[in-house]
Amino acid sequence: MTTTNAHARRPKDRAWAFLLPAYAAIGLIVGVPTVYSLYLSFHQWKLTTFQKGVPFVGLDNYAQATGDPAFWHSMQVTVLFTLVALAIEVLLGLGLAVLLDQEFRGRRSIRILILLPMFVTNVVVGLIWRILLSYDFGVVNWLFSLVGISKVAWLGDPGLALWSLVVVDIWNTTAFVALILLAGLQAIPDEPRQAARVDGASAWQTFRLVTFPLLRPVLFVAVVWRTIDLFRIFDVVFSLTGGGPYNATETISLFAYRQGFASFNLGFASAVSYLLILALVIILAVEARVLGRRTT
Amino acid sequence: MRRSRRTTVAIYALVAVSVVLFMFPLVWLFLTSIKPATDTFAYPPVIVFTPTAESYTQVFAQSDFPKYLMNSVIVGILSTVTALTLGLPAAYALARLHVRGTGIWRAVALIPQMLPTIVVVIPVYMIFRSVGLLDNVIALAFTYLAFTVPISIWILTNFIQDLPPELDEAALVDGASRLQTLTKVILPLVRPGLAATAVICLLYTWNEFLYALILTGKDAKTAPVAIVGFMTNKEIYWGKIAAAGTVVLVPVLAFGIVAHRHLARGLVSGSGK
Repeated sequence: MTTTNAHARRPKDRAWAFLLPAYAAIGLIVGVPTVYSLYLSFHQWKLTTFQKGVPFVGLDNYAQATGDPAFWHSMQVTVLFTLVALAIEVLLGLGLAVLLDQEFRGRRSIRILILLPMFVTNVVVGLIWRILLSYDFGVVNWLFSLVGISKVAWLGDPGLALWSLVVVDIWNTTAFVALILLAGLQAIPDEPRQAARVDGASAWQTFRLVTFPLLRPVLFVAVVWRTIDLFRIFDVVFSLTGGGPYNATETISLFAYRQGFASFNLGFASAVSYLLILALVIILAVEARVLGRRTT
Repeated sequence: MRRSRRTTVAIYALVAVSVVLFMFPLVWLFLTSIKPATDTFAYPPVIVFTPTAESYTQVFAQSDFPKYLMNSVIVGILSTVTALTLGLPAAYALARLHVRGTGIWRAVALIPQMLPTIVVVIPVYMIFRSVGLLDNVIALAFTYLAFTVPISIWILTNFIQDLPPELDEAALVDGASRLQTLTKVILPLVRPGLAATAVICLLYTWNEFLYALILTGKDAKTAPVAIVGFMTNKEIYWGKIAAAGTVVLVPVLAFGIVAHRHLARGLVSGSGK
């Protein structure tokens, strides 16, 4: 073996010295707080009492959370929101990716225009839609009135607000799914698709039997990222509804935020945030089983 | 591949509908920002009006928004420059040095991006509170390394892997150390990669809300937190919100255009594909 091979590991390379700064930073800024949060979740830390001490309370915070109807309500809101929005975003994102993969005039610039919403500051997304969906002066109600539909309280009706949030998130992030799937589509070679067409397969058969299986690993990536982002959603909800009306859109992140920074019950909020991770891991594991099966 | 006329018409129609649906909310935000105050709340919505800059004047001349916008710029630049400095050597090691467990190192760099922010920010708040770092722009930039460093690692690793390994070999044959190879050979060639990574990091820091909401107050507040501040208990200042929102979105849209291609690749390959 010669020392000229750039890919060979050489003793004096000291790879650890290259990795250390970045990974030490990650450890300090993410690792330490995450462990501290776990510690906090087993202790009572309240603004009113912490100066007298932060007693170890075992699993009390977890027990308190799982015994709290408001916690289960936020869990239910989050799971429902995640599953519905995920399903629609993946379907629309797939459609949009296929559309943007076609040849049409001005494709490059139009692609960028359509993908733009995914970059919009999330807080601003919520505020834009608050303007559009306003009961009193919203343009959406006005457009509906043109076809004879009377005013709807999109964000004020507790039975409707979560679905309005779903619509807003679809506008915001379908482009993200499309972007990933488009990258996947463009990485698929043309030959198998052309061969299928030559053999007499219809466009739909070619897509279903040739393109889609090849796209599946990338689809899985899109699903995982969307699940994570939907499940921890905070910014858009904060500015769109603030979790209301009557907590109808209070997701777990918002619930934990309220417990932590309105009630200053930080031990409890930490326990809730760990339950959030636990629920997320379960959902991802289920998805991995359903979607991650190897294609034959 | 040949297309029937009907398919072509359908494609153009779908494209047109998509453009309208995705662009309309952004256009409406801009229109709201240049409406006279009396027309902002009009119903039915006023479509023909005399544009005015009064909302922009209020935001820029009569509020602290410019200061908070500046905070966003400082936090973004500080965090991005630091992340690139830390991330480049790590990416080089992962792309070239055949580190044992490269896959694990790359996976570790993904975890911060997957953790719900609320998990990390509660303890960070308590640590900052006890050492007096709350409401501090530099401390906020430091916490943003939680996502800018991982982003830099994945994206730069891809870029370095794309460079031909013969370049490193030539430098090593000439007796250069790995560090010299990195600074003299790789660094100049990976500049487009650094630019793309910087754009993506700036985009993420610029849009970040939850850390800033919890860790800052009236001094170190960033633009997204300041915009939400235009919603008070007494009144919601829609004109100001629209004007400030439009200003915040200008760099985002410009960066998005540059970022979209690299981001897709980073996300797909970063996931161990």
